[in-house]
Amino acid sequence: MIARWPKSLRFGAGIVLLWLIAAVLAPWLTPADPYAIDLDNTLRPPGGDWLMGTDHVGRDVFTRVVFAARIDIWMGVMGVLAPLLIGVTIGLFAGYFGGLFDSVMMRIVDITLAFPFLILVLAIVAMLGPGITNFIIALALVAWVSYARLIRADVMVVKNAEYVQAARTLGFSSPLIIFKHVLPNTISPIIVYAMTDMVLVVLAGASLGFIGLGVQPPTAEWGAMIADGQAYITEAWWVSFFPGLAAVSFGIGLSLIGDGLARMLRIGDT
Amino acid sequence: MSEPLLKVCNLDVSFRSRGGETHAVRNVSFDVGVGEIIGIVGESGSGKSVSCRAILGLLPESASVSGRIEYSDQNLLGLDTEGLRRIRGRDVSMVFQNPASHLDPLMAIGAQVSEPLIHHQDASPTQALDAAIERLREVQLEHPEQRVNSYPHELSGGMKQRVMIAAAIACGPGLLLADEPTTALDVTVQARILELLKSLNEQHYLSVVLVSHDLAVVAQVCDRVLVMRHGEIVESGDTKQVIYSPQHPYTQQLIESQPSRMTIRPPVATDTDTLLDVSNIDVEFASPGGGTMRALNDVSLILRQGESLGVVGESGSGKSTLARVVMGLVKPKSGDVKLRGQSILQKRNRLDLSVCRKVQMVFQNPYDSLNPRYSVYETIAEPLERHKLVPATKLDERVAELMGLVELDSSLASRKPAQLSGGQCQRVGIARALAMDPELLIADEITSALDVTIQAQIIALLNRLREERGLSVIFISHDLTLVRSFCDQVVVFQSGRIVESGAVSGVLEQPQKSYTQELLLSVPTL
Repeated sequence: MIARWPKSLRFGAGIVLLWLIAAVLAPWLTPADPYAIDLDNTLRPPGGDWLMGTDHVGRDVFTRVVFAARIDIWMGVMGVLAPLLIGVTIGLFAGYFGGLFDSVMMRIVDITLAFPFLILVLAIVAMLGPGITNFIIALALVAWVSYARLIRADVMVVKNAEYVQAARTLGFSSPLIIFKHVLPNTISPIIVYAMTDMVLVVLAGASLGFIGLGVQPPTAEWGAMIADGQAYITEAWWVSFFPGLAAVSFGIGLSLIGDGLARMLRIGDT
Repeated sequence: MSEPLLKVCNLDVSFRSRGGETHAVRNVSFDVGVGEIIGIVGESGSGKSVSCRAILGLLPESASVSGRIEYSDQNLLGLDTEGLRRIRGRDVSMVFQNPASHLDPLMAIGAQVSEPLIHHQDASPTQALDAAIERLREVQLEHPEQRVNSYPHELSGGMKQRVMIAAAIACGPGLLLADEPTTALDVTVQARILELLKSLNEQHYLSVVLVSHDLAVVAQVCDRVLVMRHGEIVESGDTKQVIYSPQHPYTQQLIESQPSRMTIRPPVATDTDTLLDVSNIDVEFASPGGGTMRALNDVSLILRQGESLGVVGESGSGKSTLARVVMGLVKPKSGDVKLRGQSILQKRNRLDLSVCRKVQMVFQNPYDSLNPRYSVYETIAEPLERHKLVPATKLDERVAELMGLVELDSSLASRKPAQLSGGQCQRVGIARALAMDPELLIADEITSALDVTIQAQIIALLNRLREERGLSVIFISHDLTLVRSFCDQVVVFQSGRIVESGAVSGVLEQPQKSYTQELLLSVPTL
């Protein structure tokens, strides 16, 4: 099965798998405590006892990068899953039935899309208070519109396909037709989009961490760590560099999966 | 015969792909004389279009072509892009199957016809437009002076095809390649386009290569015929000779499969009970420009048990809408549909299984009518499982029985639609409908996307099912000859109304209405 995967998918899956393993095995990968402050050894360069150096309060950067993977992956998965489930359900029913429900939902989509994405998320997080759960709630409230709109367009095409008409003539109920016949034939672009979206969610989470509205200190999170290192960037580049590298590599891994899936599903369809 | 205009010698075309090399055309040789019309006939995948496109170098990059193609002593295969460009449209031009997708939607038709004149003959735009009007008159487009400013979407399919022919003959080419030029058109329009090609050939001494899947079309206008199969010419010769004394078994099979050659089944006794009673159906759709469009106007018909009713008409005449009303997919504005005396329109909305089971439908497009993600087994088993028509332990057995009924090999059970041929897909569609054990089967143009030999097999299958199971059929088709060989009764639709109806023998032998007469005369037969 893996032999039939496109190269980019294999490569991307490899990177993401490494991060997953790192997140799960974090306590065994590193002996240090991510929160242990050691004021004698602040801003130590990489090498020796500290693989990636230490930050301004002497915490081991490597340990924190590995532990941060737990938070960031959790954020990426939940931040995509919640809007995906909401958006796909709404988009499926709106596209299949049309009518008033469709009109109302699509106007909500239009209004939401009129705001810049990150600003809207920021506003909601600011209202609910900082923190990772509120960030995911904000994402679910804002990001579902893209999923709804994307799947609705495909549903409008597929619902007129003869196999859907045939399912209706066979006396199947609408929910059955929607989930058994329409959904499987419209979900591929959603999966591909979700992979790209996960990159954006992780980066948005990091950005929020950077301006202090995301994960609260001292929790290790890549964005927040980059923000911590900002003040020392000229003398201790490693404090920001390694969490940045982690975020970028995870993002590239997801992008490659998205690209590979797009390619594989397209071939599978023809 | 004098020196031929086009000489094709040992043409070989193969396509490179990831799966290896496919040979599309093998060792094809033929020539076309000045003022001659030759036809290339074959089923899909026979290499007829590829051979035709190779002449003008229109094949994709992945094709490798060898052999010789000479047009008045010039080897076209040796030409570079610039050389080919000079030949295309000026000496040799081409007309394609779908006029809707081969005309530029954003360009007035006058400009499209005059474009080749400006490029090849350095005509000024005004001169070119005058010449374009002249060409449009030659292809018998009405009011060409006004039409030059129209855009393609304002024209009908037949008119678009005329415009495309006008653009193709604008520079007075010696040879016209016509690749399935009438396949997308209604039968009456097809007859007029074929007449036009014939008259252009006579008036201008224009040589034509007519590519078609329909032997009857080719037989109508061509002097000589080439029959292709699997990339090779299996038979060639004078049209009459090929049709009346075919040598190759494949040609014989092709001729046998013509609907007009099929054996006519004896009509069933007409004293059976009324099965379906459709009365005074009106259907209106909202038209895109506002207002409503009448799709069906006061349509009534009766189908007796065991009978087969043919519904014929051109595209847009409302045939498919009628099927969708009976199936409950479209709600009529007024009127009633009764099955064995009971109205079924209301029950449809509640998904009443007793109605669903009695009336089933098979759709037009073999690939679009099956869920691409379901295997053959899953497709046929789904209604059985969902409605619990058989106990779970008997499911496999019943699916195998249904597959046997439609003559599908059991080894195909795990295949997805993309791995099946068009004919196999249609058999799966029929098996799925039969799973409900219906009394009435509605077949909506089920053979129109299939090759003629496959069509003959599907018709034979339907005939067998009618005999064995006493199935009643509503057979919707644009092909009158097919209706003649399969149906007992027929109704003729024109713009949403039934213009004529009755027993097939009566209506089709002695049509009363002029529209039916025109339809009948337009059908090319062998």
